[in-house]
Amino acid sequence: MAEMKRRWGMAIDLDKCTGCGTCQIACSQSNNMPIFQDDSDIAKRVTFLDVMQVTNDNDENAQYPDVKVAYLPKMCQQCEGNDPENPSPPCVSVCPVVATDVGDDGVVSQIWSRCIGCRYCQASCPYEARVFNWWKPEYEGTFKESMNPDRSIASRGTVVKCTFCDHIWKKERDKAIANGVTDINAVTYTPACVSACPTGAMVFGDLNDPDSEVSRLSKSDRALRLLHPIDKLRETDPELYKKRIAMKNYPNPKVYYLTSQKWLKEMIGGYKHSS
Amino acid sequence: MKKLERKDFLKMVGGAVVGTGTGYVFSGAPFQSLQWLVEWTQDQYTPQQGEEKYIQSICNACPDKCSISVRKIGDRAVKVETSNQGCPMGQSLVHVLYHPGRIKTPLKQAGKKGSGKFEQVSWDDAVNTIAKKIDTLRKDGKAAAIVGINESHAGISGMLLDRLITAAGSPNIYEDPCFCSLSKAAVELTQNTEGSIYYDFDRADYILSFGARLLEGWGNAGAMHRSFAGWKDRGVRFVHVDTICTRTASAADQWVATKPGTEAALALGIANILIRKFGKRSSGAQFGRFSELAINQYTPAKVSELTGVKQEALEQLAKEFASARRPIAVTGKGGQGVSSSTMEMAAVQALNSLAGSLGSVVKVKTDKGLGSVKLDSYAKQGLSSASKARGLDEFIASDAKADLIIINGANPVFQSTYGKKLIEKMKEASTVVVIAPLLNDTAMYADYVLPSLSSLEMKTEAGGPVVTPRFKAIHAGDSLIRIARNIDGVKQSFPWKNYTALVSGTSSQVIKSISSFTFPAKMMSKELEEAQKSSAPTSDYPLAMLPYEITLVGDGRGLALPYVLKGLNNTVLTEETLWVLMNPSTADEYSVSEGEKVDLESSRGELDNVRVHLTKTIAPGVIAIPLGFGHTAYTEYATDKGVNPKEIMNNKIDPVSGTADWWLTRVKIS
Repeated sequence: MAEMKRRWGMAIDLDKCTGCGTCQIACSQSNNMPIFQDDSDIAKRVTFLDVMQVTNDNDENAQYPDVKVAYLPKMCQQCEGNDPENPSPPCVSVCPVVATDVGDDGVVSQIWSRCIGCRYCQASCPYEARVFNWWKPEYEGTFKESMNPDRSIASRGTVVKCTFCDHIWKKERDKAIANGVTDINAVTYTPACVSACPTGAMVFGDLNDPDSEVSRLSKSDRALRLLHPIDKLRETDPELYKKRIAMKNYPNPKVYYLTSQKWLKEMIGGYKHSS
Repeated sequence: MKKLERKDFLKMVGGAVVGTGTGYVFSGAPFQSLQWLVEWTQDQYTPQQGEEKYIQSICNACPDKCSISVRKIGDRAVKVETSNQGCPMGQSLVHVLYHPGRIKTPLKQAGKKGSGKFEQVSWDDAVNTIAKKIDTLRKDGKAAAIVGINESHAGISGMLLDRLITAAGSPNIYEDPCFCSLSKAAVELTQNTEGSIYYDFDRADYILSFGARLLEGWGNAGAMHRSFAGWKDRGVRFVHVDTICTRTASAADQWVATKPGTEAALALGIANILIRKFGKRSSGAQFGRFSELAINQYTPAKVSELTGVKQEALEQLAKEFASARRPIAVTGKGGQGVSSSTMEMAAVQALNSLAGSLGSVVKVKTDKGLGSVKLDSYAKQGLSSASKARGLDEFIASDAKADLIIINGANPVFQSTYGKKLIEKMKEASTVVVIAPLLNDTAMYADYVLPSLSSLEMKTEAGGPVVTPRFKAIHAGDSLIRIARNIDGVKQSFPWKNYTALVSGTSSQVIKSISSFTFPAKMMSKELEEAQKSSAPTSDYPLAMLPYEITLVGDGRGLALPYVLKGLNNTVLTEETLWVLMNPSTADEYSVSEGEKVDLESSRGELDNVRVHLTKTIAPGVIAIPLGFGHTAYTEYATDKGVNPKEIMNNKIDPVSGTADWWLTRVKIS
């Protein structure tokens, strides 16, 4: 494995997220999401970023008005497996054609044109972050005019997913090289969703850089990873944690969700919180 | 005849198979079908390449005028960059620009109004016919039958339509009801000045919102979100009063759950405590009568019973409000679509007056305007012959005759609870002109549809348009200038050749600090009592129906954009059926189960076939229904998706603003 240079990660403050949907529109626009005549058809539509509504109203004890709703922008969680130095996300090892891999930037890539559509990766993804093109991606009428030339368009029968807008990353690197900058660590970028967020709830950066805001936020008490209950053991029982990770490869996502709300912490983390 | 041997038969069959197979292979057919298979599965569209440019511009989607940077590839605009400053509308600008439903040339109704059949006409034809019609009406002394309806925040074109209608001699110029138009009525009544309420959210240290869903498209969404982020950073406490657990209620520091339609009573209950316990006074006129009303009629005990808010919570709210240095009480229930009675607005403004926030963080906003209009004798006669209704809904509901209607960007057939009545008026009128970029519910009943520009095709304060206007569309303001300059007696009020002369300066807002306040105590007492009675459950209609808005859809404007449809989840719209929300306890009472299809009935009519989603985020006895669905015509993406609740919503007209107060409707499940 090549030496990791960057470890791009994201932190999303759910207490600041208002569910306005700006990130979803920006993502769709930047990544050439297909446009079908009826995109309210959930089975057919393709999106990389879902603004999911979550609520605690399913709790047996929940009673109006002691309920809450929150919004959770969910995209590919960019897992790295147990060892960040040697990333092994659940989807990568199952791909028979190396259409998905981890680069030296930590981003789980996906090459549409290499994908043979076996959907193993989709089955192995713990976060349902991958979408299969059951239909040929259409771009109705004159909407074609607004398409981004940096993003290739998937064929029917392939799996697609969020790649942290790696087309922007690549462009920034190309620009730097054209300007004579060869040090990759001097180049930064921002994915479309993060640069659109009107409340600044989404933060993007290098998790390898201890001074970056995203590193700082990822270590905060408010930070959690989506349905990753093993994180609890790390604090409460480090011995057991070591045992567990020796036995099993955990997803270890690089997307962190921040919240101070107990119910939301439990819902996202997938485990009961004492505090 | 010789008997056919089995062996020979097999040989013949074998030969035929081999022959056909060989022929098939050599014909090239298999390779052709393989080719088809490959094309069918692998066919990819490749976007055109071109030189990359970033053009600085200003988003015209709302009066907030956020700076944007538009990425262009060759001649194509491909992405709007808002640098954490914009809103979903800004991100959608390219899709509005390249929408396949854009109107390409001026259209003329070719069938009966509402048939959806249009034929193309030239700009000269359309402009001359409309101008001639206005001219004739003026000369016949029927100038007052000319009517203008602006969309909310129409900007330059709105001011020009206003000017055209006035110069032609008609008082009948209206605006799609919105927070600005509603609060204008309240400001005129309570502060005796022209303008709408302006909140300085960035300077406030405490926000108490009475049903104003600030994070759901309320006001100018981009600015509102920036302010919200600022409150989090500065530790400003944000309290939201609502019956439904909406996004705003959950994002707020505290959600105060009230019974439906009791926001005004809650405001008066807080006023009661502010006056009695915290010695808050106002120098405003009729403060004495107001304090009498608040102290005698809205005691904490009574308010607690009315609103369902516990007395301690009420005291706590009053204490927080009283101890804040620059608190704001926000009125205007709703998100993108707002509905509050004038008395409710006045009751909330009374709190601002008591706290001393009027003139400091709660101000009055007006537009600079275009200057005075030169009226000729026809115009003077027309203006003196008729009076103006107080608001759009009051006008539609009245018997006032409309012979020529110009609708600029608005979609009142869909938005107004009097949409059906407006259709009748439009059918009776001899000429109806709709100016819009996309055909909508209202345009179906137009005689002429004039294509207008999307935001990226307009010249802004930042410079020329990002993209040259597509098709034959022109700026709405230019359509109006062209019409006006063709009418004798009107043209002298229109010295401008086109809208670009008006881009800088004229639309900028003027913000006035006015602290004077008149408490409309008598009217408030009467109106609020009536409202309480009319909103109480009846045996015929026991449930309260309240609106809520879906992310990105808002009050319906966003639904024509396919990326907006991508965001709808499976408890909003499935298979073109709309879902409503209900508390499980209410569902038990009426034997409704999750996902069941029901009909909702109010005294005005019935909404067929909505599905029910059970959730404890809704108060018992309440049905929450999303706004913005059920367009009869609004491009192929929005048409016939769900139902439009405005059809059965409350249409009682507010006596001050002349606008239907549709917030709370009593319904039953039928």
